[in-house]
Amino acid sequence: MSKRADQKQASRVVSDQLARERLRQRGLWTAVIAVSALVLAGLIGWAVYAGQSSGNRAAPPGVATGDDSGIVIGDGPVTVDLYADFICPACQAYEAATRSTLDQLLAAKKITLVFHPVAFLDRTTSTKYSTRAASAAACASKGGRFSEYVNALFDNQPPEGGAGLSDDDLIRIGGEVGLVDPDFAQCVRDGEYRGWVEHVTETASERKVTGTPTIHVNGEEIGRTAEALNDSVVAAAP
Amino acid sequence: MGVTVSTRVQRWPIARPWIGTGARLVLACVWLYAGASKVTDLAGSGRAVNAYQVMPYDLAKVIGAALPFVEIALGFLLLAGLATRLAAAVSAVLLVVFIAGIVAAWARGLSIDCGCFGGGGELAAGQSPSYLPEIQRDLGFLTLAGFLVVFPRTRLAIDSWLNEPEER
Repeated sequence: MSKRADQKQASRVVSDQLARERLRQRGLWTAVIAVSALVLAGLIGWAVYAGQSSGNRAAPPGVATGDDSGIVIGDGPVTVDLYADFICPACQAYEAATRSTLDQLLAAKKITLVFHPVAFLDRTTSTKYSTRAASAAACASKGGRFSEYVNALFDNQPPEGGAGLSDDDLIRIGGEVGLVDPDFAQCVRDGEYRGWVEHVTETASERKVTGTPTIHVNGEEIGRTAEALNDSVVAAAP
Repeated sequence: MGVTVSTRVQRWPIARPWIGTGARLVLACVWLYAGASKVTDLAGSGRAVNAYQVMPYDLAKVIGAALPFVEIALGFLLLAGLATRLAAAVSAVLLVVFIAGIVAAWARGLSIDCGCFGGGGELAAGQSPSYLPEIQRDLGFLTLAGFLVVFPRTRLAIDSWLNEPEER
């Protein structure tokens, strides 16, 4: 009896061991598959992003020398960098509050204004209005009426959460400030400067700009009021 | 008294896998939602990573592009209950990294949005950072992940189906 019982027990031990081994193997393979899936997902993301970045980064005329990251207005000793998104209500408010101050400083040749039309807020409209509007502003720079068009875009700012203005609207607004050349319309429709807007946005992020509007006077961030602007320009003036 | 204790003891082994299923599905939804909200704007996701200012921008762009896809993959693993312990452990590691990032941003006085569920890390003007609620929320998710690391066996999971023959 004992022999048979021993054999039975031995075979059970072996089969239990085999079962455990199979289970261990299965667990191992599951883990390998899961890890591969996670790594693969990451690589796919990288590939998708690399494929999305547009190759055409041609800058419009009027761009700041050096890094091409903004449009230059005026010619003064103090550099004012303004980072703004055309869909951002606070940018509109800032622009409205500082327009006369900026105009005075520009007229007196005290500042060089570098306007950086960033597209931080593409997700707030269904049509990536931030990118389209910034690209249209670059077209306006090509047409020689950048600051007029920027003002007009803020005056006609659409609300966040909708579709933004259509390309036709962007072209019509251009017509109202004298951009009647068919080249401008074509430039807006083609989104000729989308790649450049991407570059502007990335450069802003590289400079630790994490909100709009952001204003730098000679590279130093200042408060979002007309007084802060005036005071810092006076303080920075040579 | 003794009766209550014994029913409690009996209830726990039955309830635990179901609690695990709940934790797994909630965490799965969190990852799927977090990934989906970023996947449509990979450049923004890169900016959100960069806003923490802990790595060069070029690296932040790569991490920002890869992260949403990894989050979605994690979401699917947890949803299916495949390699639950591993997926939960990776979730926990990611959440600890996120929490550390937010704490570091807070400690350095940065003014950013966590970018947890989309966005480029930019705050709207006049909007102040909400670091504490973000950390509390991530700690809640971390608790779920921790539970699954300790008790990875859950109901309605591929894992339990894979292990079934041996359990008999």
